[in-house]
Amino acid sequence: MPCERKPMRYGHSEGHTDVTFDDAGKFIVTCGSDGDVRIWESLDDDDPRSINVGEKAYSLALKRKLVTAGSNNTVQIHTFPEGDPDGILTRFTTHATHVAFNHSGSRVAAGSSDFMVKVVEVADSSQQKTLRGHDAPVLSVTFDPKDELLYPGCSRPCNLTVVVHLQTKVTSWPVLQKSNDVSTAKSLCRLGWQPKTAKLLAVPVGLKVHLYERDSWEHVSTLSDDMMTQPINVVAWSPCGQLLAAGSVGGFLTVWNAESKLCVERQKHEKGYTVCGLAWHPSGRQLAYTDTQGSLGLLDDLPTASSATKTPKAPAVKAANDYDDLFDEDDDRAMDEGLSDTHSPAKRPVAGGDDDDDDDLMPATGRVKNRSSFLDDENSLDTVSLALGQGKYGDDDDAGSTVAPPTGPSLPLRPAYEGPLPTLPQKPFQPGSTPAHLTHRFMTWNSVGVVRGYNDDQDNAVDVEFHDTAVHHAMHLTNALGHTLADLSQEAVLLACPATDELASKLQCLHFSSWDANKEWIVDLPAGEDVRALVLGQGWAAAATSARTLRLFTVGGVQKEIFSLPGHVVSMAAHGEQLLVVYHRGTGFDGDQALGVQLLQLGRRKRQVIHGEPLPLSCKAHLAWLGFTAEGTPCYVDSEGVVRMLNRSLGNTWTPVCNTRETCKGKSDHFWVVAVHENPQQLRCIPCKGSRYPPTLPRPAVAILPFKLPLCQTTTEKGQMEEQYWRSTLLQNHYSFLSSSGYEIDDEGQNQNQKEQQELLMKMFALSCKLEREFRCMELAELMTQSVVTLAVRYASRSRRMNLAQRLNELAMEKANQLQEEQEQEEEEVYGQRESAGGHSSSRSHQAREEEPREEEEDESQETETLEADGESRKRKSPSQSRVSNVLDSMTSVRRPAPLGGPSGKQSKGPVLKPLAPKPKTKMQSTLLQMATSKAANKKAQVNPEPAADRLKQPEVPPPDLPVEDSENQKPRTGFQLWLEENRKSILADSPDLQETDVIKAAMGSFRSLSAEDRLSWTERAKGQSGEAADLKKRKRVEEAGEGDESRVKADENIAKKKKSLDTTAKLSAFAFNKN
Amino acid sequence: MDPTEVEFLAEKEIVKIIPNFSLDKIYLIGGDLGPFNPGLPVQVPVWLALNLKQRQKCRILPPQWMDVDKLEEVREMERKEDSFTPPPSPYYMELTKLLLNHASDNIPKADEIRTLVKDIWDTRIAKLRLSADSFISQQEAHAKLDNLTLMEINTTRSFLLGSLNCMFKLRSNMQPGTSTGKGPDY
Repeated sequence: MPCERKPMRYGHSEGHTDVTFDDAGKFIVTCGSDGDVRIWESLDDDDPRSINVGEKAYSLALKRKLVTAGSNNTVQIHTFPEGDPDGILTRFTTHATHVAFNHSGSRVAAGSSDFMVKVVEVADSSQQKTLRGHDAPVLSVTFDPKDELLYPGCSRPCNLTVVVHLQTKVTSWPVLQKSNDVSTAKSLCRLGWQPKTAKLLAVPVGLKVHLYERDSWEHVSTLSDDMMTQPINVVAWSPCGQLLAAGSVGGFLTVWNAESKLCVERQKHEKGYTVCGLAWHPSGRQLAYTDTQGSLGLLDDLPTASSATKTPKAPAVKAANDYDDLFDEDDDRAMDEGLSDTHSPAKRPVAGGDDDDDDDLMPATGRVKNRSSFLDDENSLDTVSLALGQGKYGDDDDAGSTVAPPTGPSLPLRPAYEGPLPTLPQKPFQPGSTPAHLTHRFMTWNSVGVVRGYNDDQDNAVDVEFHDTAVHHAMHLTNALGHTLADLSQEAVLLACPATDELASKLQCLHFSSWDANKEWIVDLPAGEDVRALVLGQGWAAAATSARTLRLFTVGGVQKEIFSLPGHVVSMAAHGEQLLVVYHRGTGFDGDQALGVQLLQLGRRKRQVIHGEPLPLSCKAHLAWLGFTAEGTPCYVDSEGVVRMLNRSLGNTWTPVCNTRETCKGKSDHFWVVAVHENPQQLRCIPCKGSRYPPTLPRPAVAILPFKLPLCQTTTEKGQMEEQYWRSTLLQNHYSFLSSSGYEIDDEGQNQNQKEQQELLMKMFALSCKLEREFRCMELAELMTQSVVTLAVRYASRSRRMNLAQRLNELAMEKANQLQEEQEQEEEEVYGQRESAGGHSSSRSHQAREEEPREEEEDESQETETLEADGESRKRKSPSQSRVSNVLDSMTSVRRPAPLGGPSGKQSKGPVLKPLAPKPKTKMQSTLLQMATSKAANKKAQVNPEPAADRLKQPEVPPPDLPVEDSENQKPRTGFQLWLEENRKSILADSPDLQETDVIKAAMGSFRSLSAEDRLSWTERAKGQSGEAADLKKRKRVEEAGEGDESRVKADENIAKKKKSLDTTAKLSAFAFNKN
Repeated sequence: MDPTEVEFLAEKEIVKIIPNFSLDKIYLIGGDLGPFNPGLPVQVPVWLALNLKQRQKCRILPPQWMDVDKLEEVREMERKEDSFTPPPSPYYMELTKLLLNHASDNIPKADEIRTLVKDIWDTRIAKLRLSADSFISQQEAHAKLDNLTLMEINTTRSFLLGSLNCMFKLRSNMQPGTSTGKGPDY
């Protein structure tokens, strides 16, 4: 049965107040900071009697007489209800904080801010006893019905002290939060003794009320209420001793049944002001309360104890009625004893030996008990057994668990867990959006434009605006469906709303770039599925739902693939054909999020690039932004402001490229990232002063932040250059990615980039040189390209570091060789692919000539093998190469080295185009020669013009005769070539209108049809010839003595190289000396 | 000098705009401008900013000083000091007029700013008149005024010089023996 909350009414001016009922319950008596005590006949009394007691009244107590604690450091007595002053009871050095009568009304206890408590005989104010030894302002005092005194102080150690018989400090609990003044104390800590039985003491401790048992001073149970969010200020027992009312700082009023620990009543102060006074009507039906704003309120028709309590033991309490007299006697005796006993009562408790023990031990045990009730199972079991022994608190297992979690028996059900605490998983979000609870918010802000959502009284609308008005004009849509998610691309706007009771979650797409008249489509999601994140790619859209599925659509609205995500989605981003999904991989602990990331390629070749690996975040951070750079590299920002970028060249790792918090001026300033660009290196973000996200108005302006890798010692020159170098390398990765995925790339930019890198390396090299760090120089040189190494060689030799120069030289050699090999391989691969295509077409032409294409191909491969067997294709190792190789292949690969060899000697005169020549030998030669030239000239190595040569070859098929002769002059020849020369005419005669290539193919066919012996003989002849040709060549035989003559065996190659390099070194060092 | 000429000079000042189009760097005699990226602030002279704004090609970001709080501070300062305080910008009046007339929708609290700038202007002009008055009444030969903007000098020049001329003529006529008052024109 709910009670009636009467409206609050003005009682006093703003400030602390106190309230009580008179003994008969006829009046409500209040005091307030205006210094008045008002006596109300009821709450509706419009003309209460006022008694002025001083400038301020802090507390009052009423028992036949009115005792007030006033501002002039006095405790005064007034007659009641007349209100005539009846003298000053006692004085303090500061104002008294609380006054309380004992049960019989014979004594008054007053606590004050000067750490003292005084107990004064009402009849004779000279009979007073001072309790010192406390080290904090006294918050409140109370007598128990047996006349023990209790007062809590409020500073270190925050104690609640019980003094029995006014002399012995029995126990103290360190339960209160410390403070240095009553005004700063979190809670007034008004205590309450259970009336009549005086079994229990209620102490407001934080959000709970602790119940302590008398005599043993054990903490027996705790009353709490989930609604209580702020500390409890006051507690008051109902006159029957069964109900306990508590008023809290936040204005909550709660009434518990102390036995069942059930909350029987719960009210909220109508304005949420702090309740600072609480009093029960003697009938137990009304509860008066006052707040710190001076208002008085009343709860009427409260359930009585008997009606509220259903515990069978309730009546038992009522039995103890006749205690009062007994205790009164007791009181007097104690008082007398106390007075006669001591002159300096404060010292007394500490003096005696036994008491000493108590003092030392009790707080300690008290502390343990106190904690134990929360954490320690064993101890709390003790408490329970104690309670059981009393036979009063054992039966609340079922009843108590509903409202007030009791400390006792239910504890074992909640095992104490002290390990790392799980983090709340972060909510899904759209990158570049501000929180959904805002009425004006950005639904998304990306590189295309801005989608704003307005959701206020007049308007529920979505504004779409494009950065580039050339894309589309701005749009204003009414948001009838209540969209909360949005994404924007060059083609469309995608919106989604969560499901409501009637309507399913919807996905709406405004496909403004569509060329037909229908520019909009809507899709309903299945019941129970909500869109959590959505994204627009190029020509497709994706939506991740609460069912952990990811649905793909075309931008026109065709449903495509659907797949499941391993966890709840956090965010998604798209770029072109790439889709990046971040989801919850599991539960994070201690503030960390456990996120996983998937990167999918959704083009024609669908594949997963990153397979759900953990997403690295800063400590205790969550994901704040997810996206791609304009160049298509995945990138994200966490709540600590660290921007990380995917490093594709380091096995798809994430590299931190910037920390936006470092650039923030204030501690609470943030940068709200909207886009990342790699070329130029820009982090586009909106500076937000004192918040994490920008407001919609005034329109925020984008600022640009530079990248900065968090390398060590970036203040030094070395660190700076290293940072620049690695940043440049990292941000150059997108070139290779773009070219590999078939996009056009900015060659100029890339070259520029590389040039800068090499310059940086050279600078670092020079710096290390200066610092005499030759080893470091070598390490740097390893990163350089071959041409720059040669520069470094020059630098080293010029600065007279011959050792370094020599090592660098070797390195340069190696690099040159590597480069060469790589290029060869690449070419072979490329041409191999091309030729295989070409091969098919040629085989088709063969088909026309009624030849079996399959056989043909097989034959061809056989042919190549024989060629290899001839020792001319040494360099080709992979079987695939030999498989694909055919006539054209050998043609092109021969052609390639020709221009390279060009400048080196007379043998090759420019790009000679000849149909067939044994390539390996030429290749070998040209390699070495080219190396020599490049070394000697200290020039940039070769930018290989073979594509050009290739192109040259295609249009103009040279006249057959000339090249053959040319090739005769320079190249060793195969048996096939010799055979071809002899038989060319006959072939041409057979089919005069053949193209050169076709001629060769035809020739190849007929050559193959020769018997093996014949072919062998041709090969023999060719070998003989090539030997002669080699002899004729005007090469530097001296240097390459071992090389030219010997059959080209692999091992020899190396020797030759070494010789070569030594030679160059010698040359170079000579050069260096000349220079110097 | 005409006020329009002063305004013309003020148009050389640099402001930030947010273009809504994309354009490469443009190479002008006065220097290179751009590149223009949609949504990204870029610095351009006022004349270009206004031109683009009129064609609805950009959004103008108000200069730093064009802010209610800062202008209020300047105004208070200006009222407190007897001498001229440094103006918020050497072309504050011209820029305010130009930007507020053409791009008031991009400037938050445009009306307040207009009032504030007008206040500052009035205060300064009053000071100028006052100092001109004391200059003439005390018959000083020269005076030094700091922190005047071109526009302010320009508004007072013609009148002050004309009146000085006049006075010179009158004085030379008053003194017997001197010539017919053909003093050199200032």
